[in-house]
Amino acid sequence: MPRHHIARPALTQRQAAAILLLPFLTVYAVFLVYPFFKGIWISLHDWNLMAVAFNPDAKTFVGLQNYERVMWGRNITWGAWSSPGLQMLGLIGLGAGFLLYRTGRAGKVTALAILIASLLLFVLPGFHPGEGGRWYDRRFWPTVGNTIVFVGLAVPGVTITAMLLAAALDGETRAKAVLRTLFFLSQVLSVTVVTLIWQIMFSPRQGLIANLTELFGGSPIVWLTAEGFAMAAIVIATIWWSLGIAMILFLAGIQDISKDLYEAGALDNATGAKAFWYITLPNLKRTITVVVVLQIILHFQVFGQAHLMTSGGPNDSTQVLVRYIYQTAFRDSELGRASAMAVFLFVIMGGFSILQFVLGREKDQ
Amino acid sequence: MKHMILGASALAVLATGAVAQEVTLGRFFGDCENAGTDTKVTVGEACIIQSIINAADAQLDGISVSTLPTDWGNYYDQIKATYAGGTPPNVHVMHRHRVPEFASIGALADLTDDLAAAGIDPSDWEAAALEAVTYNDRIVGVPMDFHANLWHVNMDLMEAAGLVENGAPVLPSSPEELLEHARAVKQTTGQDYLAADFAQFPIGVRVALALIWQQGSNIFEGDTATIDTPEARNAISAITQLFDAGLANAQLNYADSQQAFLNGEAAILVNGTWVVDFYSAEAAKDDQGLNRYFAADFPTLFDEGATWADSHMWAIPAPLKANDADTYAAALQVLAFINDHNIDWARTGHMAVRSSVLASAEYAALPHRDEYTGTADIARDTPPSVRYGAIQDVLNRELQAIWLTGKSVDAALADAEADVQDLLDR
Repeated sequence: MPRHHIARPALTQRQAAAILLLPFLTVYAVFLVYPFFKGIWISLHDWNLMAVAFNPDAKTFVGLQNYERVMWGRNITWGAWSSPGLQMLGLIGLGAGFLLYRTGRAGKVTALAILIASLLLFVLPGFHPGEGGRWYDRRFWPTVGNTIVFVGLAVPGVTITAMLLAAALDGETRAKAVLRTLFFLSQVLSVTVVTLIWQIMFSPRQGLIANLTELFGGSPIVWLTAEGFAMAAIVIATIWWSLGIAMILFLAGIQDISKDLYEAGALDNATGAKAFWYITLPNLKRTITVVVVLQIILHFQVFGQAHLMTSGGPNDSTQVLVRYIYQTAFRDSELGRASAMAVFLFVIMGGFSILQFVLGREKDQ
Repeated sequence: MKHMILGASALAVLATGAVAQEVTLGRFFGDCENAGTDTKVTVGEACIIQSIINAADAQLDGISVSTLPTDWGNYYDQIKATYAGGTPPNVHVMHRHRVPEFASIGALADLTDDLAAAGIDPSDWEAAALEAVTYNDRIVGVPMDFHANLWHVNMDLMEAAGLVENGAPVLPSSPEELLEHARAVKQTTGQDYLAADFAQFPIGVRVALALIWQQGSNIFEGDTATIDTPEARNAISAITQLFDAGLANAQLNYADSQQAFLNGEAAILVNGTWVVDFYSAEAAKDDQGLNRYFAADFPTLFDEGATWADSHMWAIPAPLKANDADTYAAALQVLAFINDHNIDWARTGHMAVRSSVLASAEYAALPHRDEYTGTADIARDTPPSVRYGAIQDVLNRELQAIWLTGKSVDAALADAEADVQDLLDR
């Protein structure tokens, strides 16, 4: 058989890669990169949502004024003790981070993360309006605070519950498989359905929780309009909603742990809770990091729960950043100002993404 | 249902061979699955408006109307986003209070010279209705109603407390009397005197506003916020005295407060005209706690009568008039149809806007209509502002903070005044 070469245009690997990547890059550029820079561009303008739609010239360039109007105020001063609780916590964190690093109990990156977080905790709450001064937007920082409180409650809540569930439901019995599916089911619901379910659950008149408290002789709590309970209510709904993915990640992590370890542990009398504490937990360290950082990024964007269940109330106690951005953009039509807040949110989440990236690399080495 | 309507209209098109002019319609009022096309039998805002729309779709030659899915709570956000995206519905409902926000940037079509040709007669509209849809001397909408806060009354509870005279409830004429009546109801029936949504939508705000207006004050004038005033304090303490004495529950939201009233757990419910037909239908049922129902004018507790009021109206986006004459003409036909059915919409409990309807025997015969005839004269609202929505939210937040979280009246009024001033200054 004669051998002959069919001449075909040879693609270098580079060219092939470029062609294969092109569709993705186009979509990425059009739907992610462009809107992102457009958002930053809008944040530098006084830009009314409707007015600009009818007259493209109705916007004016204002530089960083939107950022100033949102985050700054008149006569803002800094004091080392203007918010003693938080700032003290920051100082303790600084000391602890330094100590952990010196004693070798924390890696370089972990220590650095703790130090940066503590420094921010010490510096940021120190700003306050001085004599005769005021924040230009007195709701922005409390809203950021609420968002952090939400994240601070929801992330450990989801992580711990999901981990315990995963440990309990790891196994091959039919009941466990059914339960795993059940616990994951809530994750596929949309936020509207989840909030509807929980509004009914929390209702003081017909809710399951109210009926239970009445059964035991208590008077029902009006969860969604009581200042002390509203945030707890949306955190509970959120934990129920977002357990699924975290649980699956933990299940995968647990199944990765060698069975030999448990057998060896059992010989030393470490079973049940002990085995969980001494074998499962240390081996899940990496999964925990991934879950925590993913959850932080996810929950900073909380919107639906606060919007649909409490409308940010009572007294703004569940007003969160994305809802404030949404209201500023669509209710008040102030797109520039809203974009400035969105850029702020991006910076926060960007910080956590970098943290995740760095932590991931640290473990690889 | 929507698919059935769409399917049916598609079939109709196939059968006649004509292409119907499609008119898209945006509205709030909620969903109604099986509204049908009979505008005389439906109950409640959602079903009555949908039956009128369905009837328009069925009866207008060569025009099909499709209702877009929108959500009550986020309606204006959605509508504004569609305007910004260049795809607003061909006709949409809105409140009078939103006219400045939309009309000031030229978003609404000027209908002034096209109404007569479409069969709409603005001279039949009440003066206040014409004023509601007029911006800079041009008509930018077709009014559909006046709506206002009423006091919905459970007559059995009032009678037990000795608060009924000549078949009508005896309502308070001062804050002190309000407290007396509330105590009387509690003592004789064990039930709350007054319920309202003080925890969710701004119904509580509207109660407080009415009491502020009754003293001749307002929350802002021109560009100056005037919230931190003695009048506002009087208004707030008239309300909070009921909470403090355990005669009303501040923590009920819209659905819960309504349920409390229907269960016979509150003598009075403060809510709008939009529920009169619903409550009278509920009172007619045997299994309800509410049996004898009366719809009363908002009482005057201070110097002059005032109750919060607004108007629903229909508008057409300006770009449609500029770019698409056929659809614009069809959209006007839809508005004319709705205008012709003003009497059907009034069945909700809302007050009609057409003089001819107001004078008709059919209107006078609507249930409970003769009980709140004073409301039209005391209807009020805050001054027009492009920031109406944001201002309402500030008031709702701060007033709720007072009765739900115990924030001091001083702090809440100071914060509200500062925030509203900020909004007026922007």
